[in-house]
Amino acid sequence: MKTTNRQLQKKQTKEALLRTAYEVFSERGIMNTRMSDIAQAAGVSHGTVFAHFQTQEMLITKVVETYGGKIALRTHELAGSCEHMKEILSAHLAGIMEFEPFYTRLVIENRLLAPAARDVWVSVQSSISFHFSQVAGREIQSGRSINLPTHLLFNIWVGLVHYYLANGDLFAPEGNVIKRYGETLVENYMKLIQTDHRTRGRQG
Amino acid sequence: MKTCISCGMPMTKPSDYPLADESKDYCIYCARPDGSMQSYPEKLEGTTEFLIRTQGLDKEAAHQIAIRTLSKLPAWKGKENNIE
Repeated sequence: MKTTNRQLQKKQTKEALLRTAYEVFSERGIMNTRMSDIAQAAGVSHGTVFAHFQTQEMLITKVVETYGGKIALRTHELAGSCEHMKEILSAHLAGIMEFEPFYTRLVIENRLLAPAARDVWVSVQSSISFHFSQVAGREIQSGRSINLPTHLLFNIWVGLVHYYLANGDLFAPEGNVIKRYGETLVENYMKLIQTDHRTRGRQG
Repeated sequence: MKTCISCGMPMTKPSDYPLADESKDYCIYCARPDGSMQSYPEKLEGTTEFLIRTQGLDKEAAHQIAIRTLSKLPAWKGKENNIE
């Protein structure tokens, strides 16, 4: 019984540390944060953090795996039932908005992270590119979307969203890029990729 | 909620399962047309192709990410050490 309680407590401490690290990373950046900052924010000793995560890289990777997994799952939930492109784009942004400060740190810093954490970043992108590609395929087939390779349609979209997020200090200093620009980005991306039958008619 | 042992996708509705068989531990995208689970080489090739087709990654980069990502899933644990 004693061991069980101890194991439970250990698990709870680890989860609390991951949550604290997630919050500190969101606020100050991932590479900018030291293990001692997390210990201080969590109200534990430096040694306690090291007892759970032997290196800074292990801690970062675990936080990215845990919260990247949550972002991917939420994106999958929101995008899974979407029929049309505009719905997919809105669902994608709704998922990002729930984790916006941390997601933004990943946009800026993922290239600097260890391969395991960087793989999570690709998995997060896969959780939306999967649904995006299915809908894009249907919309191209039915003539509603311009016929570009799926990955270019996808990268034009995420390139746009990630540019605004990466430079959020310039676009939305108050800290809510998606809330402020989300609808505008969706509307204008749709204008870019939708086929316009009227224009075509005039040209033809 | 079950998650696919082969690719990690959450399985929430009958159509997520091969032949709508909810007793399976793998999803419809990891199944062959007859409902059996794809082999590791098939899944590795499929995952690599997916990353190239939907995100435009370089072939070798996609292949390496697919190896590392699959190695973390219950169906393929430790597989990354068995191939080149």
